Amino acid sequence: MSTLHLVRQSAFASNDFAQCLSVLDHQDSVVLMDDGCYNLKHSLMDSLIKRVDGSVNINVITSHAQARAIEIIAAVNAIEMSDVVELTFTHKKVITWQ
Amino acid sequence: MTSIEQQSSSSAQENGLAIINSKAPFSSTHGKDALDIALIFGSFEQKVSLFFQGDGVYQLIADQDGSLLAIKDYLKTFSAFEFYDIEDIYVCQQSLSNRQLDENFHIDEVKVLSSIEFSAALNRHQHVLRF
Repeated sequence: MSTLHLVRQSAFASNDFAQCLSVLDHQDSVVLMDDGCYNLKHSLMDSLIKRVDGSVNINVITSHAQARAIEIIAAVNAIEMSDVVELTFTHKKVITWQ
Repeated sequence: MTSIEQQSSSSAQENGLAIINSKAPFSSTHGKDALDIALIFGSFEQKVSLFFQGDGVYQLIADQDGSLLAIKDYLKTFSAFEFYDIEDIYVCQQSLSNRQLDENFHIDEVKVLSSIEFSAALNRHQHVLRF
């Protein structure tokens, strides 16, 4: 049962992202959107990338990161909102972390 | 004697309004509300100091563009602070380094303070609003 995780909050301000990572399965996908984009610079992100080693699909909404002057790192896919719609079809369920 | 003089000079500074900004700029209206209050106090020639702490430091970072999110970019109004005589703008250095941010701001005259200096600057104010 694959899950799509929509992360909308900064891990520097709430522990939503930490909770998301604690239930993350290897076939899941993560989308960082809105203030969730700030998590690209969080230490949780570094440990996530090391832990999953490419098995979990990690995405960020390009315009949301760009608006916040956040650099998109190579380990993460830059996607558009329309791609999120696609992702909701390719996963069994969706959890929004906000 | 010196300590008494210092005390009287520090108590003389105990006035004005401190506004603490603690939220990221685009996902809520907190930053805009704080800005409105600051400019209103400024236009009545009341002394205002701005403090940026926690996710609030993101409000000052250069190269942001709210128009990408179809949001009216109130951050551009920060450049009007000098016309309202808002000169005391303080940023928590710890909050910047936690977020791996450089001291690259979209306005000038921003003072980056250590945690101790930051709290000392805040404690000089009689009134505090936090957003």
